[in-house]
Amino acid sequence: MSYLKLVHMEVHRFRWVIAALMGITAIFQFGGLIATLASELSRREYRLPQDIGNSSIPAPAPDLLTFEWAMFNTQLWFILPMLLSMAVLGLYVFIIWYRDWIGRSTFIYRLLMLPSARRNLYFAKLTAFLLFVFGMVSFQLALLPIEHLVFKLVVPADLRADSHIVDVIGINQALAELIPRKFEQFLYSYGLGTIVVLAIFTAILLERSYRGIGILYGLLYLGACALAVAFPIIFLGVEVPYTYFYPAEVYAIELAMCALVGGVSVWLGTRLLARKITV
Amino acid sequence: MIEVTDIRKRYRRRDVLSGVTFAADKGQITCLIGLNGAGKSTILKAIMGLTPIAGGSIRIDGQAPGPKLYEKVAFVPDRLTMPSGMKLIEAHRFMADFYAGWNGERAGELMRFFGLSYSDRIGSLSKGTAAKFNLLLGLSQDSDYILMDEPFAGIDLFSREAITEVFTSELIEGRGVLFTTHEIGEMEHLIDRAVLLQGGKVERAFDCDEMRGAEGKSVIDVMREVYRA
Repeated sequence: MSYLKLVHMEVHRFRWVIAALMGITAIFQFGGLIATLASELSRREYRLPQDIGNSSIPAPAPDLLTFEWAMFNTQLWFILPMLLSMAVLGLYVFIIWYRDWIGRSTFIYRLLMLPSARRNLYFAKLTAFLLFVFGMVSFQLALLPIEHLVFKLVVPADLRADSHIVDVIGINQALAELIPRKFEQFLYSYGLGTIVVLAIFTAILLERSYRGIGILYGLLYLGACALAVAFPIIFLGVEVPYTYFYPAEVYAIELAMCALVGGVSVWLGTRLLARKITV
Repeated sequence: MIEVTDIRKRYRRRDVLSGVTFAADKGQITCLIGLNGAGKSTILKAIMGLTPIAGGSIRIDGQAPGPKLYEKVAFVPDRLTMPSGMKLIEAHRFMADFYAGWNGERAGELMRFFGLSYSDRIGSLSKGTAAKFNLLLGLSQDSDYILMDEPFAGIDLFSREAITEVFTSELIEGRGVLFTTHEIGEMEHLIDRAVLLQGGKVERAFDCDEMRGAEGKSVIDVMREVYRA
């Protein structure tokens, strides 16, 4: 119960930042979409027959405009807010811990004195982070049908053709990265991302526990994690000549190393929080 | 009873605590006295599990500290422990949400007693008001013990008087109080037991009434002996 309350509290504290990111994302994407469509429609309206085939836009429009075409030509408007969101969420991995120590109000005193296991605090912060990441992805998914509707409102029916949502996501590089078409790829991308966050959490807690020398411990820990995850690919990988292992075995070793790094990070992080942390 | 036995701690190659031993009884006001850097705050933090110790033991009513300790012992640190952006009403809700022993009725009475407003933001409170609110957070828990770190540091005369008044009220009665200070001032007559620290060690620990009766010395007299020696 305490865990859920803590998750709610963490989400509540960062809600305006996430709302702002969602707002910026929506403004960029709708703005980019409407501007691109208006420009294309205007160009078509005034285009003389001899100008056909002399287009200056990156991807020549087909005879009929499709939502897929619009998504391909507005990629920059998707990439910019996505990079901004990634930067903010990247910083949030650190902010979510350090804000409780820094400043006039040291909330960490209160958080560590809550009458429940301290691991709840660790998992609540992790959950809040993942909720924000998947919240942003879901928001993007929810925006697509609305953007499709905007496309239909802006482009006259006789100038547009239908397109499939899967093709729409596939043709926009930003969306393709954010929402992989294969579920397996989705698990790899976000699973690896979660392991990176877990390792950083532990590095932060090492620094907060041992302060000065803790920075070194944290960096060493991150280096060790990176080495552990990269080891099967670099030294046993399929590209290595005369490798002893089959690709499926290297893959299994890689999965095991990822699980090990994730497991050790959680164990060490919660242990530091329970026994070594200092305010 | 809070029993601190032979606790040790090193920080930046310096012995912050070198075998500190003392006890604080329920129903008594115990004061940890020491100059700046004597290790007073570290002891309170160690009791509350907010900083690890290198050795020794801490027992509260015979039990080792754990999560349940935080219902039994309330801690009022020397700084605010709620986020700056939080309103006082939200801080009340937070405490009620997480602590089974949160006494909302008492918290309301203390809000009126200290003249605090629910709509104020924590970050906008003056130092004296923040100290009062901090004290409110500690006193509104139905705990057996209350620890306070420098409750009078850097606050105005009237805030000091309001806080001193709390020490003589029923809010404290029956509880064990352990607080730190480096200037004993008007608190001297309220203290039952004094523990004088110097360089991370207990120099003297005594019952104040017994000291007055047996040797005719006040706490300040003993402090002069210890710190001017």
